[in-house]
Amino acid sequence: MLKNNLLKIIGYALFSMIVAAVLTLSLRGLPGTPNSVEINTPEWKEDGPFELSPERGRYALTYSLIEDKSFFFSTPLARFTTPDLGYKNGHYVSLFAPGISYLTGVGYYIGRQFGNAQIGTVTVVAIFALCNMWLLIYIIRKLGLHPMTAIIASLVFLFATPSFAYAVTLYQHHISTFLILCALALAINFNSWLALFFVWFLCAMSIPVDYPNLFLMAPIGFFALGKIIYFRQKNQSKLVISLPKVFTFLGLVLPLSFFLWFNQSSYNNPLQFSGTVPSVHDIDESGNPAPEKTADKENIEKYLNPDLQKKTTLTFFKPRNLVNGLYIHLLSPDRGIIYFTPVLLFGIFGAYFLYKKNPKITILLLSIIMLDILLYSMWGDPWGGWAFGSRYLIPAYAILTIFIAAFLDHYRKNIFMLVLFLTVASYCVYINTAGALSSSANPPKVQVLYLESLSGHQERYSFDRNLEYLQLGSSKSYAFQVWASKYMSAWEYFQVIYSAIFAILSFAIIALYLNKRGDKI
Amino acid sequence: MILTIPKLFVQKSRVFVSRYLALFILLGLSLISIYYFWYYLQNGLGLSYNDARSHLDIGRRVVEGLKPGLAQLGSVWLPLNHMLMIPLIWNDWMWHTGFAGAVWNMLSFVGTGLVIYKYLEKLKVGILGRVVAVAVFAANVNVLYLQSTAMTEPLLLFTMTMSCYYLLTWHQNEGVLSLIKSALWVMLATLVRYDGWFLLGVAGLLVLRHSWVTGKNLNNWKKRFSRMEGITVLFSTLAVIGVVGWFIWNLLIFKDPLYFMLGEFSAHAQQLVMEAAGALPTKHDLLLSIKVYFYSFFYSSYTYPAILAIIAYVYMWRDKTLSLETRWASLSLWAPLVFNILALYLGFSVIYVQGISGDTWFNIRYGVMLAPTVAIMIGYLVGRAKDFRPLIIGSLLFVLFFAFANQDAVSIDDATVGSSQKNVSEVSGYLYSNAKDLPGYILISAASHDAIIFSSGLPMKKYIHEGTGKYWESATTTPDHWARWIIMRTYDDADLTWRAVSRTPGFANYTRVAAYPFADIYELKPEFLDRLQTEAVIKDNK
Repeated sequence: MLKNNLLKIIGYALFSMIVAAVLTLSLRGLPGTPNSVEINTPEWKEDGPFELSPERGRYALTYSLIEDKSFFFSTPLARFTTPDLGYKNGHYVSLFAPGISYLTGVGYYIGRQFGNAQIGTVTVVAIFALCNMWLLIYIIRKLGLHPMTAIIASLVFLFATPSFAYAVTLYQHHISTFLILCALALAINFNSWLALFFVWFLCAMSIPVDYPNLFLMAPIGFFALGKIIYFRQKNQSKLVISLPKVFTFLGLVLPLSFFLWFNQSSYNNPLQFSGTVPSVHDIDESGNPAPEKTADKENIEKYLNPDLQKKTTLTFFKPRNLVNGLYIHLLSPDRGIIYFTPVLLFGIFGAYFLYKKNPKITILLLSIIMLDILLYSMWGDPWGGWAFGSRYLIPAYAILTIFIAAFLDHYRKNIFMLVLFLTVASYCVYINTAGALSSSANPPKVQVLYLESLSGHQERYSFDRNLEYLQLGSSKSYAFQVWASKYMSAWEYFQVIYSAIFAILSFAIIALYLNKRGDKI
Repeated sequence: MILTIPKLFVQKSRVFVSRYLALFILLGLSLISIYYFWYYLQNGLGLSYNDARSHLDIGRRVVEGLKPGLAQLGSVWLPLNHMLMIPLIWNDWMWHTGFAGAVWNMLSFVGTGLVIYKYLEKLKVGILGRVVAVAVFAANVNVLYLQSTAMTEPLLLFTMTMSCYYLLTWHQNEGVLSLIKSALWVMLATLVRYDGWFLLGVAGLLVLRHSWVTGKNLNNWKKRFSRMEGITVLFSTLAVIGVVGWFIWNLLIFKDPLYFMLGEFSAHAQQLVMEAAGALPTKHDLLLSIKVYFYSFFYSSYTYPAILAIIAYVYMWRDKTLSLETRWASLSLWAPLVFNILALYLGFSVIYVQGISGDTWFNIRYGVMLAPTVAIMIGYLVGRAKDFRPLIIGSLLFVLFFAFANQDAVSIDDATVGSSQKNVSEVSGYLYSNAKDLPGYILISAASHDAIIFSSGLPMKKYIHEGTGKYWESATTTPDHWARWIIMRTYDDADLTWRAVSRTPGFANYTRVAAYPFADIYELKPEFLDRLQTEAVIKDNK
């Protein structure tokens, strides 16, 4: 028994180390701790780790809080943040929810001690990604599925979906997913007041990380609420309200207080959401707001005087966008699941199998997926700007991999299904490894013609852009740039990383097949 | 803390809800209907559709003008909406607020909600499913907007859904009365829009099929055929009265039974012009027709409910708790889908979807024809897929919340920024300011400029148009004797007034006093005013 447990612990530790190593080798970054002037160079921006404005905006706030001790951006930092820069009361401010900047601040601080602030910051995101893997394993095991399916499903989530690319850069998605999975794990496995307290804490904490998390957390919130107020029907109908558990709502207080305090400090209004702050797209030489070169003349006044802009949170989401949004997220070659991570489609069958076994939890999981897809399909920019794959669906990918575990659990002795699964999964790993090691700057298809007119050559918009990037000898991986580039090309580096992931995945699937039904690993 | 709910209270509540819920729905829908009529009246959107203003004018011309009478119902549109307006349209407020037309749509909105409720009762769906279905129907901003206007769609939805409901009832109980009621409602639908004609065909085929299938106990083919024939004739006799009546009407008034189809102002004639201009892209392109109508359908129902409805219908065909005949009867609910795709494919109809066919909206509201179907299917799904209720209801609330928060309605865009709108306020404003208190008639083509007539706020008897008999004939021959003002599109022979008047010598006696995007205004020179006829002097104007 003791020996078995020891072997299990060693096995999991080894597995975690291998996954952590792959993530480390894939982290995007450059050595150094750039100051606010250096960071504006192409080496750090377009050609470097801060290629897109969501990364820049969040890093700028971390930098400003730690280095300048200010909620307001200095002019060089504001210039770095454009075109997604906020402007309030004569100050340049962040246009992004502040949670990520605070959470990654620790990594920035530690990284700075070693002269690598940027890589320190991104490492925090990778750690959250690793935690997500563990949470998935935990949830899947608690659902009574085979342990090896949990390993495979977590590998699929990390390396066979676009979440890989966002585990090695400064984006909010893995941290949002972490909060959702944490709350989910607590809500479905525990009934104590402490667990509920933390569910509410996580729900509230998810809002300053990314505002739409409010909606993604809603199904978990209602599920948890059902543990506080519920009907009991036996001989008589009874409405039960657990009074001690009502006090668990106190878990909301701390994160919400932080959120209100940040808004007050940054925007002089506790109820002002970052996204609704007037935005500045460019800054002129004297440091004042300026219109973009491509700005339409009719709205030029709004660029010069950002306070004239009127923005409301709700107008960001319109049901009318659903037709296009669903197409972009599910079917389009520039972002669609069907191109970037078709392995998740096995999850549809898995959902059916899990539903047979545990309908209540399946409905809860489906609700989170559904709200994620619906919410971001109603979003005016379903592409997520320039991005690799459909980044907004990363929480849904995580939940879908739970269904994948159910699928594998059902077919774990069916060699045909396992081979089919491995084939599709290896394709997904190939594509998503290319995305992680190269760049996330894939334009939406609708912009390609315009871009081609500017560049004079063919502009790719799907994962072929990432493969081309690697074939041309570039990779944004920190490890590659600092060390591996001396020994191999970017393409070879990609092959090495891909082979390593493929080997782990294949090993796990073989182990699943060979393991006797019902055996514990 | 445990609150015990007494058994008796639970039982009584159930009885109370099942007895009075329909009444509460009636009340609730009525209040919503009235509120939204008022809301769109206040913000001025209620009369944005050019067609809404034309419908109101048609109704008004029956009771007021230089030649009032039923003949004013014309042939451009089917007559039921305009006939229903007659009792109210004489009142200026009801005419100019659109209430005379909207009131029937408001009643139709409430009625359709109730029929959805009753339809689901027949599908053995519980209270929650029925309430959700009614809510899905009522929470569609497109439906709420259209019920607040004088457009024709809500009345069509009501008559069609009623017909489908009685058809389902007949499929379930084979009562003759249900069959007759279904025929009556389909007959009314055929007098609202041509979608009703297609439903007539679909319903006829379903009646034919059902009467054949249920006659299998008869021991010989002849008897079975006779039974089928008898039932189908019984249904058809009443159901086709509207269609036959419309042919006869056209024959009597326009001397051609097919005038509504092939006449100068028919949709067909308009579509020929569009086709010549290359603006009918769906004609003979089935894939594009399907794509365009599905866009219209999805946009009008917020996509997600439409997807759920399709899933529900597939599920329904696998549902063995419903009889096969019930499932067959439910086919009639989808008739508008097939009709609209066919109409686009054959070139009888045109829909522009911004970004798909052109850069504007036109007739995008046609997708709303499936609103009751979507509601019924969702209600059915909620009723059957019990485990999924939180997911279905929660996600629907989520989407509908954003629809309401943004007032997301393509039908409003269609009415305000698409090709269906006409901002004629400049022309009508000019007339109101300059012609209101002066004697003399205004010569205008109602076929081209009904929106101007409506928006001017002037009485119908101030206008000489193509429906005014001898006044029109006289004014288009010697305009300077009859018309003090002429409204027309200069150099456009599609405008009947220009086509007639520009060739007359009297036209030289006019000055163009204003030019606007939709029409120009000509006024008789002062030196010719002394011979101008300003009174209704023609007695025998038949």
